[in-house]
Amino acid sequence: MKASIRPYAFSALGIAGALVIWQVLATAQVAGNALPSATTVFTTLATILGTGTFWSALGATIGIALLALALAALAGVVLGLLIGSFESVRYATLAVLEFLKPVPPIVILPLAVLVLGPTAEMALFLVVFGCLLPIVMQTVDGVQGTDPVARDTARSYGMGEGEILARVVLPSAMPYIGTAMRLAAPAALVVTVVAGLLGGGPGLGQTIYQAQAAGDYASLYGLVIVLGVLGLLFQGATRLAERRVLHWHESYREVVP
Amino acid sequence: MSARPAPPLPLRNRKSTMAQQPETRISATTPRLDVAHLAKTYGSGEKSHTVIEDLTFTVDAGEVVCIVGPSGVGKTTLLKCLAGLHPASSGRAAIDGRTISGPPPEMALVFQDYNRSLMPWLTVRKNLVLPLRHLKLPAAELKERCDSALAAVGLSHADNQYPWQLSGGMQQRVAIARALAYRPEILIMDEPFASVDAQTRFDLEDLCLKIRKDFNMTILVVTHDIDEAVYLADRVVVLGSRPARVLKVVDVDLPAPRDQITTRSLPDFARQRTEVLSLIKRPA
Repeated sequence: MKASIRPYAFSALGIAGALVIWQVLATAQVAGNALPSATTVFTTLATILGTGTFWSALGATIGIALLALALAALAGVVLGLLIGSFESVRYATLAVLEFLKPVPPIVILPLAVLVLGPTAEMALFLVVFGCLLPIVMQTVDGVQGTDPVARDTARSYGMGEGEILARVVLPSAMPYIGTAMRLAAPAALVVTVVAGLLGGGPGLGQTIYQAQAAGDYASLYGLVIVLGVLGLLFQGATRLAERRVLHWHESYREVVP
Repeated sequence: MSARPAPPLPLRNRKSTMAQQPETRISATTPRLDVAHLAKTYGSGEKSHTVIEDLTFTVDAGEVVCIVGPSGVGKTTLLKCLAGLHPASSGRAAIDGRTISGPPPEMALVFQDYNRSLMPWLTVRKNLVLPLRHLKLPAAELKERCDSALAAVGLSHADNQYPWQLSGGMQQRVAIARALAYRPEILIMDEPFASVDAQTRFDLEDLCLKIRKDFNMTILVVTHDIDEAVYLADRVVVLGSRPARVLKVVDVDLPAPRDQITTRSLPDFARQRTEVLSLIKRPA
């Protein structure tokens, strides 16, 4: 048990250390008004947490990120299965997808705002755009990585192509899809906030922008802390979900023969 | 060839999907499995590669036939043609006179690589159920088939475990149970015991013979192990390379029931394994 407590103790120590350094630097006025002290920020944060606007903004951010993530996952897996399974679809789409892959969502943000306005739909579109392609690509890799022996087994038992896709290929591709989702979840949060911060979409990004415009640094830092915690929760949740779904996979197996 | 009578098969249970094929009259002499001038060439033109040139042999109902040959001779390709996974380039393989054009419903295939052939995300029981789903069986029959198949391979206790929690020999028994639950009339095994230790190998060989006896199954085993082939088989088809062709079909006349100790110590056993070995060792 000693071994399992030690890492937590050191983590707590590290966090406490960072807070102390923050407090000292702020008290020494190294950055003037731009860096309020830790105590001020946490007091302000407590006040913010008591307001309804904060919670609705938080709800909007989480809602947009999760909905977009779900849409991207659904569309990405379906597209990935199609592209991975049919050579003609693969040749027809891969060039376009490879071209779009390195385009960061921030680049098309002005266009999205122009067309959709500073709305939740705009934010949703950007997040789906940002998360979709990595999920598609990983699913394609997963489909192509399906063991030919597993496929032959299914075929030799007379299973139809659709059934093989759903019951053999898709589960085989799940580890790839899981990796894509683990990377996409924090990215979805980031893009949602950026859409609010730079595009005026609803949620915490917009709240941060308003705090910045008002010169309310204490609130701004408080909201950043909230985002940081939210990011950790997203990552933890995806890890947990991955572990549950992929409990059979080599990297999660509890019993090794 | 087989001395065994051919009583009605208790396991025949599926409608044939090959009904479109012109019906061939099944006479007493129609073999269960008939491979006639089968050839398989991959690719075309200059890059073409002939794996199988001209294979002809038959397997009668209730027989155990082993196919042996040097490694790389195209045994796996042959099985894939028989299982309907690859079309033959010329010649044909037929079951009861009907040409195999897709996976035959009365056939099940057991692969060498159990850890690649079993689905790691499914428990043992669900692995058995997977290929049965499309047969749309009543729930009670589905359960009964899985229960009896697991019992036949001695794995009733493991049905809720995952394949990767089991030893190699147990995993191959799961793969065999999956084939049994499918209730095939013809069982085809591709080097099924090549990846397990010697003791497990003996157990699995005996399991194979027990299955033939209990289920009256026709079994075709590809192996590179000559002793195994002679021990298991009623007939051994000896292949030569390359491309693959039949060197000889050796009738194994060892008494039944076979036993790992007594059968293998018979002078006839030694004589027949020598016969097969010398065929394989002979320079082509």
